[in-house]
Amino acid sequence: MTHFLAAAALLCAMTDTVIDIEEVTITDRAVRPVQTHTTLSSIQVSRDYLQQNFSGSLMHTLQGIPGVKAMSIGSGQSKPTIRGLGFNRMAVAEDGIKHEGQQWGDDHGLEIDQFAIDRVEVIKGPAALLYGSDAIGGVICLYTNHIPTDSLSGAVQLFGRSNNGQLGASAKLGLRAGKLFCRANVTIINYGDYRVPTDSIQYYSYYIKLKDQRLRNTAGLERDGSLMIGYAGYNFHTDLRVSDTYAKSGFFANAHGLEVRLSDIDYDRSRRDIDLPYQWVNHLKVLSHSSWRSSVLSVDVSLAYQNNRREECSEPVSHGYMPKPDGPMERHFDKSTYTANIGLKMALAEHNLNAGINTEYQHNRRTGWGFIIPDFETGSYGAYLLDKWQPTDKLKLNAGLRYDFAQTHIHSYNDWYKTPVGADSVFKQRSADIDLTFNNLTWSVGASYEAADWVLKANVGKSFRIPIPKELGADGINYHIFRYERGNAELNPEVSYQLDVSAYWANKVASIQIEPYVNYFPNYIYLNPTSLYEEGLQLYHYTQAEVLRYGVECQSTCKITRHINAELKGEYLYAEQLSGAKKGYTLPFSTPWSADAGLKYSHKRHGEGSVGLNVHIVGKQDNIVPPEKPTDGYWTLNLSASHRFRFAESSISLSLHADNLLNKRYYDHTSYYRLIDVPEAGRNFSIMAGWEF
Amino acid sequence: MKKSIFSSLLLCALCACSSSDKTEDMALPEITADGEQTCPVDCQQFKRGGVIAFHYQFSDNVELGSYNIEVHNNFDHHTHSTSAAECEIEGEKKPVNPWVFNSDFDIPEGQQTYTATINIDIPADIDPGDYHFMVRLTDQAGWQQLKSMAVKVIE
Repeated sequence: MTHFLAAAALLCAMTDTVIDIEEVTITDRAVRPVQTHTTLSSIQVSRDYLQQNFSGSLMHTLQGIPGVKAMSIGSGQSKPTIRGLGFNRMAVAEDGIKHEGQQWGDDHGLEIDQFAIDRVEVIKGPAALLYGSDAIGGVICLYTNHIPTDSLSGAVQLFGRSNNGQLGASAKLGLRAGKLFCRANVTIINYGDYRVPTDSIQYYSYYIKLKDQRLRNTAGLERDGSLMIGYAGYNFHTDLRVSDTYAKSGFFANAHGLEVRLSDIDYDRSRRDIDLPYQWVNHLKVLSHSSWRSSVLSVDVSLAYQNNRREECSEPVSHGYMPKPDGPMERHFDKSTYTANIGLKMALAEHNLNAGINTEYQHNRRTGWGFIIPDFETGSYGAYLLDKWQPTDKLKLNAGLRYDFAQTHIHSYNDWYKTPVGADSVFKQRSADIDLTFNNLTWSVGASYEAADWVLKANVGKSFRIPIPKELGADGINYHIFRYERGNAELNPEVSYQLDVSAYWANKVASIQIEPYVNYFPNYIYLNPTSLYEEGLQLYHYTQAEVLRYGVECQSTCKITRHINAELKGEYLYAEQLSGAKKGYTLPFSTPWSADAGLKYSHKRHGEGSVGLNVHIVGKQDNIVPPEKPTDGYWTLNLSASHRFRFAESSISLSLHADNLLNKRYYDHTSYYRLIDVPEAGRNFSIMAGWEF
Repeated sequence: MKKSIFSSLLLCALCACSSSDKTEDMALPEITADGEQTCPVDCQQFKRGGVIAFHYQFSDNVELGSYNIEVHNNFDHHTHSTSAAECEIEGEKKPVNPWVFNSDFDIPEGQQTYTATINIDIPADIDPGDYHFMVRLTDQAGWQQLKSMAVKVIE
């Protein structure tokens, strides 16, 4: 399967004679070359598509892809999921390097400048062969390494959102002098509290009244910058990119932390200020790529340093035996990740061989009065070999093997306050000092066959994920979700087997794609709510259970007239735990079925433009597991329009995206705020104006 | 277009089979009052050095799990009552020696209903004032129910 992905990744990383993908490939026949490019389902999304469908955040924009969802985590931020798997069960890679932030957390988004991204590739299905641990559900590959072709090029974008009063600007500049090039990006965003179509929120029977239907203290800001310099020769290419992303955002003031609280802070005095509780995150990345290639062999070396610092602050309160802390700093994390990858690609007659080594070292330190994740160091090492064999023009076969080894050292942690135990009182230990090693062998086999109007693909593969320190070593109160979480040092690496099939048919007017899959986990890591109490809160314990998941995504397009295209798409996912304490139950945050119907009118007068209307329907979800609540189905009406005016040396583009036109009040079952009964955002208009030269 | 119709039919078929016929426990346990013996109730007053004779009825459709009782002060008026009743509360103040009570209790195995009675001693040296009395109850499946009462400790 994936070694073609490898090839793709390598190619992009190294030369970047990268072909600009014209339209989104998801809707028209341009999808075909991509279809045959790998035996796993992979979707290419161009910068044009990202611009035309701009809907506030990158992940929301990518939701147009069947199987990809943005899981709302409050503050208007979201995390991606692929086929219902998110957090550490999917990977996000930037220019081929796995993005390492605080993936485990359920209340912060990706720390990436979405406006610096040139294109996106979404791989659905197990991609462990190339990306190692975590790539179970798939990978979102972001590329920011397009090489400027003109001596001077650039773009300026201004954008806004009505719902949260977001204002933003982004600029990029590209320079090229012979084989040397340079590019720079700057983005600033500022937004206010977001609106929900309700006057009050009910949480544990407590009514929280909202002023002007605004979710108090969900305002935020973002500042990103990056600089890349490089040399692009015929055989040799090297580049160095430094990027920094800073984001600060408030948490919904009334239902964050231990309980519903009234505060002395006057949250309603401004909708744009950020009061306690809030979080900030800073992600610094230094990335170097070098490659050398000849007609039969290519070598690619990537080195990266990532530093992710994140802090959560909230009003200090006493709880149980914990006295009132001195300051607001509840949690602070400082995580550094060092990555080194070497890849080799060799072309031998009908075979294309790929081999590589991935190494990564992570170092995490914490401070603050709230404990959730221990200090740790993790080293992981992987090696892979992939072969792509093309016996005939129409048939492609792939097979690959990968071995991973990882070592984790978790530090002990004791409370900073005493808890009475019998007649004595002690600084309770929350995390023990443990050393663990993991190893795992993964494989993948796939085939793709191309006939006249058809492309058929099948892929079967194993993927895995190394348990994260929170799952291994947590032992304390999760102040955010009001529960006691206990890790389990006995956990084995989580393993997943998946069979993917894809059938694609297209003629000149219509296309259909159907992608079913079956996914089996012998030991899914699951945070089980028990019937026990620990220090006054319900005990949740990490365990492993057999899990079966299956689902399908369908998409069909039809060209009704020269100007009008219709699109219909939908997805369905089922998950069941086959063993353990929750046997028979589903998994948390199970994605309900959904369907989309859309009509799009496009024309080429004065440049090119389009207007589209979309109906998004989501089914009811009553397949739940404690502590969830069933969620009703809903539908929304959405509109998008865009136009690009072309001039000799430049172009101006305008795009408008209207979500939830009817201002419907609905709940998203997969949203973090669903648990506290916060509905999704109301009507929203996003606009963007861009000038490219 | 025919193909689109075909796939929309397929979608509908998929949606139709998503309804569940599960037999898993989907119900939360319940905390209910038990006549005149019910204690504490909202706005009830207790004396320092006295006893709260906790008495509530627990029930579940399958099997009860365990429960927890927690008492903390509301001197800062953070309020989180699960009942509509509003009691008269005194002005905000800084805690000096507030009462902290937090205890987990077992329920014997195999019970669908259980009457919880616990005598909770109120220390004589704690700050008098407004307190929150929280009851948390689980069932074996891991569902949790909460009940919160506003009580007052007087001298």
